Amino acid sequence: MTEYIKLIDVSKCTGCRACQLACKQWNGLPAKQTVNYGTYQNPPDLQANTWTLIRFTEIAEKDRVKWLFRKDGCMHCTDAACVKVCPSGALYHTDIGTVAVNLDKCIGCKECISACPFDIPRYDRATDKVYKCDLCYSRIKADLIPACAKACPTGAITFGEKKAMIKKAYDRAKELGGEANVYGDKFVGGTHVVYVLTEKPRVYGLPSKPSVPATIIIWKDILKPLSLIAAGGVIAGSFLHYIIHGPKLPDENQDQAGKGGE
Amino acid sequence: MRKGLIKATDAFERIVHWSLAISCLLLCLTGLGMMFHSFNFIGTLMGGLKSLKYVHNFTGLWFAVSLYFAIRMWWKEAGVFSMPEDLEWMKVAGGYLWHVDHVPEVGKYNPGQKMFFLAVAIFGGLMVITGIIMWFPLLFPAGLVRLMYMLHALGFVVIFPFFFVHLYLGTVGSPGSLSAMTTGWVTRAWLKKQHAKWLKEMEEKGELVVFGEEKKETSAHH
Repeated sequence: MTEYIKLIDVSKCTGCRACQLACKQWNGLPAKQTVNYGTYQNPPDLQANTWTLIRFTEIAEKDRVKWLFRKDGCMHCTDAACVKVCPSGALYHTDIGTVAVNLDKCIGCKECISACPFDIPRYDRATDKVYKCDLCYSRIKADLIPACAKACPTGAITFGEKKAMIKKAYDRAKELGGEANVYGDKFVGGTHVVYVLTEKPRVYGLPSKPSVPATIIIWKDILKPLSLIAAGGVIAGSFLHYIIHGPKLPDENQDQAGKGGE
Repeated sequence: MRKGLIKATDAFERIVHWSLAISCLLLCLTGLGMMFHSFNFIGTLMGGLKSLKYVHNFTGLWFAVSLYFAIRMWWKEAGVFSMPEDLEWMKVAGGYLWHVDHVPEVGKYNPGQKMFFLAVAIFGGLMVITGIIMWFPLLFPAGLVRLMYMLHALGFVVIFPFFFVHLYLGTVGSPGSLSAMTTGWVTRAWLKKQHAKWLKEMEEKGELVVFGEEKKETSAHH
């Protein structure tokens, strides 16, 4: 299995949102009525029909303002909490390591929404299903690069084989210097979307150390197998009790009703 | 019904019992269908896993109502341990696991049944609360919802073994018990073996209802 990665170099992003539009176009996701709340970020958040979004952040410093752009969307974790919790197998790992959704299988339970450390999946009431970026799996299979990468006019979004892309990311971070860092390869088993950030992750609203939540691990890796062991154990135990110890019978000949109940 | 049988339960008790039992069993089955991919096929029987989800959720409401009546009806009798005799009974595991010459006599519910009742009351209540939050996860903080999933799974780990032991001891493991929950009439021999103290209490209070006999209310002490 060759793993592929999408590299997002925020230092090259101009906030043009061509990626956002290309994503909607390729995936057939028409825009919905939106609201202007005084920023270029539009729509305000990811939606069931908006799988990627440029997040605009303004940082006021003493004598200047930093205007940061980050393309938000599914990180495609190797150790994906959403895949771990999905009861129907709708969320799955593809052969290139990304995470896709089989909508036919989705039952709209929303477990993935609570589990995701990046707050990515979005629920659509109308279809009772959950949606997110699948890294243009259909395009990749047709030897095309993801729509967002294709549309990006500055080369901020690139796509390629994992090893090469990670090397490229570190080279770029080194070249940028200062606070520049690579985000994504060091946690949740390595993500398949990797950022080169020019500020610390939390400045962009990203968790510093994302992980599969502990409650999810206890639930799926401990309680789930334990429930089978407990259920199997008690069924086997009852059978053994019956054949070894035997049932508890009323004492016979105590009165005329003594023989009843067998 | 046969002459000499003793009334152990009334119709309301049995209806609540079976309402709780059937909803609980259905919840276990449908829950398994969502917990394990290998049990996803259970959903096929209901027209798909999405339908199974709704069966599970609405059966949960049915379970909640049954649980309310069950707790209201049984907590006084099955929710309170009477020491020290219950402790003595537990020390010998009710005579179920090894040979015991003298098993302490118990009333209407033995400590094992009381533990089962408490497990269902406490963890069943937990299942209802966690289940409702899991039904509407977007209305609550994600961290809380994740905790609910964990506790919901824990509830199954606790309730299922109790449920199965109850199923076993209510049928083949203790012959004569089942009729208490089907027709409601049991034999005197079974009652004497399983709930001797209760039999005595009913006799003393003149509450014993024997099939084919007039209720001996007048012959009682009071």
